[in-house]
Amino acid sequence: MVSVEKNPSLFLSGPGNAWVGESPYPSITEEHDVIIRIAYVGVCGSDISFWTKGGISAKVDASRPLIMGHEASGTIHEIGSAVSSLNVGDKVAIEPGVPCRRCLPCKAGQYNLCPKMVFAASPPFSHGTLAKYFKIAEDFCYKLPSFVSLEEGVLVEPLAVAMHVCRLADIRLGQDVIIFGSGTIGLLCAAVSKALGAQQIISVDVNASRLEFARKFAATGTFQPDNDSSETIAGKIKEAHNLDGGADAVLEATGVEVCISTGIHVLKKGGTFIQAGLGNPGIQFPITTLSEKEITMKGCFRYSAGDYELALHLLESKRVSVKELISSFVDFEHTTDAWERTRKGDGIKNLIRGPQN
Amino acid sequence: MAKTDSNLSFILNKPHDVTFEERPKPKIESPHDVLIAINYTGICGSDVHYWEAGRIGSFILKDPMVLGHESAGTIVEVGSAVKSVKVGDRIALEPGTPCRRCTPCLAGHYNLCPDMRFAASPPIDGTLAGYYTSAEDFCYKLPDHVSLQEGALIEPLAVAVHITKQAEIKPGQGVVVMGAGPVGLLCCAVAKAFGATTVVSVDIQPSRLEFAASYAATHTFTPERVPAEENAARLLKEVGLEGGADAVIDASGAEPSIQTSIYVVRRGGVYVQGGMGKPDITFPIMELCMKEVTAKGSFRYGSGDYKLAVELVAAGKVDVKKLISETVRFEEAEQAFKDVKAGKGIKMLIAGPNEK
Repeated sequence: MVSVEKNPSLFLSGPGNAWVGESPYPSITEEHDVIIRIAYVGVCGSDISFWTKGGISAKVDASRPLIMGHEASGTIHEIGSAVSSLNVGDKVAIEPGVPCRRCLPCKAGQYNLCPKMVFAASPPFSHGTLAKYFKIAEDFCYKLPSFVSLEEGVLVEPLAVAMHVCRLADIRLGQDVIIFGSGTIGLLCAAVSKALGAQQIISVDVNASRLEFARKFAATGTFQPDNDSSETIAGKIKEAHNLDGGADAVLEATGVEVCISTGIHVLKKGGTFIQAGLGNPGIQFPITTLSEKEITMKGCFRYSAGDYELALHLLESKRVSVKELISSFVDFEHTTDAWERTRKGDGIKNLIRGPQN
Repeated sequence: MAKTDSNLSFILNKPHDVTFEERPKPKIESPHDVLIAINYTGICGSDVHYWEAGRIGSFILKDPMVLGHESAGTIVEVGSAVKSVKVGDRIALEPGTPCRRCTPCLAGHYNLCPDMRFAASPPIDGTLAGYYTSAEDFCYKLPDHVSLQEGALIEPLAVAVHITKQAEIKPGQGVVVMGAGPVGLLCCAVAKAFGATTVVSVDIQPSRLEFAASYAATHTFTPERVPAEENAARLLKEVGLEGGADAVIDASGAEPSIQTSIYVVRRGGVYVQGGMGKPDITFPIMELCMKEVTAKGSFRYGSGDYKLAVELVAAGKVDVKKLISETVRFEEAEQAFKDVKAGKGIKMLIAGPNEK
């Protein structure tokens, strides 16, 4: 049956060039798929790269306008014939990337590394969630706990990123963790570290008001660096927080060169460094310090098996709250206002309402 | 003159009641699937068990089912999305397709998928037929110098790879393997390939131990009808592993072997249960506790096991040819089952109905 439903969608065709258009209603073609009526979409740093530069590595092209957005929540609108875990009307958080399920990394449980990953708002062809309706496989859709609002549901995606960071770091009870960056990811890494039982959770940022928020949110301590060398900053952090040998783990959520260097210098011997932030592709790096201190450094990319489930568990058990990160709302037609707000550093998580009509 | 396009199938109706039937040739249903002409199929203890008892645990034969799951074949048709194999390729077949959507599947443990469709586990038909369909990614191309008969041994070798990986064997370690049937023998070979320097094969049959010694074991041991602790102490002394073995693998399922294993493994060592025997046994739990032993189950094979098995054979690190006792014609399949039940040889292969 062909649906005559309209599907207003937010297209980007190049830097600064976005508009509301129409896309076809995403009819179900595979029995395990569901269609979601989008409620809210969050703005991420990566959206800003698309808005200002047309993309990160792959860029949008004027010949192939792309629907943006990947952090989303909504209600189930339609379900495929083999769908058993969700019903029409269920409120869900969306995991916006479906892997091929057949390649080696997929079958080994590292589906975030699938070379054929279809991720929302990825040029050239994979459309995002800034639309009235969005289609995805059932198992990439998670029912929200009854008391979690659709607005909060948007934060499940960055919370899953933070969960992935902390699991790679193997944060444990009693450990001291230093987190560079107090944007959404850094803040949620602090919250997850706390839930995992970390002892000291030190947030580092150049922005005093962000640090104040971090302190109230989940950090046990903060540090605002001056324009010093990374070794000097590391020394001052250790002194300020009685971390003689250094921290057990560093979670890097800025991608900034001096933060990365400082992170290596502030770690204890044998510590773990997780690179979550994306900045310059090439940086100056203190490699001999990594060697001599036998540091384990891991790249971190999105989320994989179990991260969304654990993120929802943290919300359901009320060990993490995400409401506080929601800073503003705009209507669908004013999406670019939300992007501008985020670009200027206003607010933590700015939300866009899904199309209302 | 043998038919060349036969889908003659070896079917189990109920225990000890088998028939040969020409079944319709299977059709490819998904663009990711391939159609395979089956060349050789090995017989496993589980196949014999279904033939004898009609069930294994909760898997119960309700309707007639084609037997067999250890096969190698040749691709004769490919779906439109198939990229990794082409018509004419010789492949080893991984006979279980998981759902790919459940939590264990997405987490990389597809062997634990609750909706696994496994050849010759009721109600899914097996591979003792002329043709079989499979998803592309469960077919592993054999290098030119590896024969199709060796290809039929990849399945039990993948079982051994999975067990040995569970045992976390590292170079220089001492490993004891209980049972010198095909899986036990292959575990010895894989343990050696993983760098174990002492590999002890344990069995009650002298002929099996003799083979193990010529195959991959550095030492052999024959237990006596004495308490497990005594057998263990004598074993460790005889093979020079006084502190205990780093890893012990049970590939027998026999209660006395399992008990002996816990006494043989060292403090902090790893014990892997590969063999399947009695569902419930008397287990030396205090010994496990005080020595902080890690005991793990092992079930079939998962991510990367088949690939590694093919690589081990291709590189000459494991010789599977030696385990092939006999290859019989398809029409002799029932006799082959009787021979395996009687303990004849190590691995018997049944040629596909179209093999000349």
